[in-house]
Amino acid sequence: MTDANQVPPVQAPSDLPTRLIITRREFLNDAAGLALGIAGIGSLVVTYGYLSPNVLFEPPTTFRAGNPDLYPSNSVTFLEDQQVYVVRTENGFYAVSAVCTHLGCVTQWKPDLGQIACPCHGSKFKSDGTKIEGPAPRPLPHFAISLTADGELQVDKLEVISPGQALKA
Amino acid sequence: MAEKESKESRYEAGFGSNAKKEPVRVVFVTRKTSAKVVGDIGPRLMTYPHLLIREAIVFMILVISLVTVALFWDAPLEQLANPLLTPNPAKAPWYFLGLQELLHYFPPLVAGIIIPTLVVIALIVIPYFNINIEGAPLWSGNAKRTLLMFLAVVIALTMLLAAFRAWTVLAPTDLVALLMLASYHGSAERRAGANAFWRRERTLPWWVMTWFISVAVVLTVVGTFFRGPGWSWVWPWSSHAG
Amino acid sequence: MANSFTIAPALERLRATRVWKSVFRRGPALTNRTRSLAVFGNLFLHFLPVKVREKSLRVRASYYVGSISFLLFIVLSVTGVLLMFYYHPAVPQAYRDMKDLRFVVSNGVFLRNLHRLAAQLMVLAVFWHMFHVFYRGGYRPPHEFNWVVGVVLLLVTLFLSYTGYLLPWDQLAFWAITVGTNIVSAMPLIGRRVRFVSLGGNLVGENALLRFYVLHCVVLPLIAVFLVAVHFWRVQKDGGLTVREEDGGKGK
Repeated sequence: MTDANQVPPVQAPSDLPTRLIITRREFLNDAAGLALGIAGIGSLVVTYGYLSPNVLFEPPTTFRAGNPDLYPSNSVTFLEDQQVYVVRTENGFYAVSAVCTHLGCVTQWKPDLGQIACPCHGSKFKSDGTKIEGPAPRPLPHFAISLTADGELQVDKLEVISPGQALKA
Repeated sequence: MAEKESKESRYEAGFGSNAKKEPVRVVFVTRKTSAKVVGDIGPRLMTYPHLLIREAIVFMILVISLVTVALFWDAPLEQLANPLLTPNPAKAPWYFLGLQELLHYFPPLVAGIIIPTLVVIALIVIPYFNINIEGAPLWSGNAKRTLLMFLAVVIALTMLLAAFRAWTVLAPTDLVALLMLASYHGSAERRAGANAFWRRERTLPWWVMTWFISVAVVLTVVGTFFRGPGWSWVWPWSSHAG
Repeated sequence: MANSFTIAPALERLRATRVWKSVFRRGPALTNRTRSLAVFGNLFLHFLPVKVREKSLRVRASYYVGSISFLLFIVLSVTGVLLMFYYHPAVPQAYRDMKDLRFVVSNGVFLRNLHRLAAQLMVLAVFWHMFHVFYRGGYRPPHEFNWVVGVVLLLVTLFLSYTGYLLPWDQLAFWAITVGTNIVSAMPLIGRRVRFVSLGGNLVGENALLRFYVLHCVVLPLIAVFLVAVHFWRVQKDGGLTVREEDGGKGK
């Protein structure tokens, strides 16, 4: 940079390292740049925070699934508005997500085939969520299922549990 | 016109000219560009009215055709969005159907993120790579070596695609590869400066882009007409799905 | 014909008025000087060069696909604004508005058809334009940056089409966007967050509709307009449209 007004670097006394010498102009320029950088990055962070909603009007993720006796043994019941299958086996109850792990389409229970099938790309699962075939990368997750104080089933879709457990009820 | 011959012959002489009548710049042709000045750029016309009237005509033809079609062909409107019921099959807009077909073979991270990102990056950097600028025909230079490398790439790609059972990607790839091979055997006759479309010597970037377009078109056509419920293969004439 | 005798002199008198001359300062475009001024002195037209190569005007040179892309954008903007007068970006009102446009609003079905048709054609046109420029070698120096601007415009066009796709709020729209945003969440590290901010939530719902509406009607068109201006300007500044070698152009 050939700035005619640029002050030539100050010659340091021989016992001081020259690196530490900075002109007032350089310091102020650096400080201003730093301030602008902070302001710029800060604006982006604040905008991102603004765009991330804190309040969502979505259906609650914990819901009641009725009395256990409503479910016949060895059955798979599709709860449509929650997109969850309530499965009752001899071992007990478990809740399996009905949302395909591939790209989020809602699966369907096919009782004659004994499979859960996804219409979008042909993934197929067993009633406990393990994958039979298809492009889905993971098995269907299990949700925490419990009994409320008054004896109803309750499913928490935010809590994923490992498969193989069943609620005795 | 001055001739400059350096030891490496980096310069070539340009055309002679009567510098007083028609001042012409001296052209130094280096190896990084392929500027073959065949002549001057030709006659020029005033934008107003020549370009503007043509644009106006194009606009009128466009509007007339659009209006005519819009009067008879209705845009689709299906049922109200239902988050609980997934239609079977659930298809993306046609320009993304090629991607959705690719998703059938590869995991979402690869087909949905990595490949599109690589494609966009590849498009953006085209002008910054010399091979796209020099315009050297594919089989110029060491043709045998090029052939070997080309065969290695094609075989590796074929095996990779077959491993993933990506037949609809494999088919156009191998078809384009066959055409490229055909261009190899004919190249001796072609160097006589053929100008017909199918006999011109093509560059590697030309072939790569042609391969990309053919794969994209095949995937999009398959995704539109040949995929039915569960993304299973259907024959369009038997399902009337369209 | 009687008209040609009375209109022309009337127009001449109009042109001689002070008011006219204060608006259009160059005079009738009958000399090359005034024709140059018609382009050079006009805010909207000065993106174009004053002179163009004759060979680049030929239809077979490009079938005018670049121009067609831009003209389709204009058609989409006009029809889009008209559609905005009847459309509420709310759930489920949006769908009812689509039905209104079809059955109740005069010429509503025509305008919607036109908008959707132009949208599909514009995506096709920009792809065709890009491939044409590639095969013609129009990305070579000094046009490299313009090529990059063009690729970004392609992405903007695709994104415009995609955001617009959700707005009818029918099954086709909803599930196409569900699949698309689920793909986005496959991005490592930031995927889920990007999906959350784009949708304004965890599900495709009213927040998503509103965000896509704002992107589709405001943000992306503004970006497109700026980039199109840069794109046209660069064509001129980089030396004009590329002409085929047979017509005297450069390179191969």
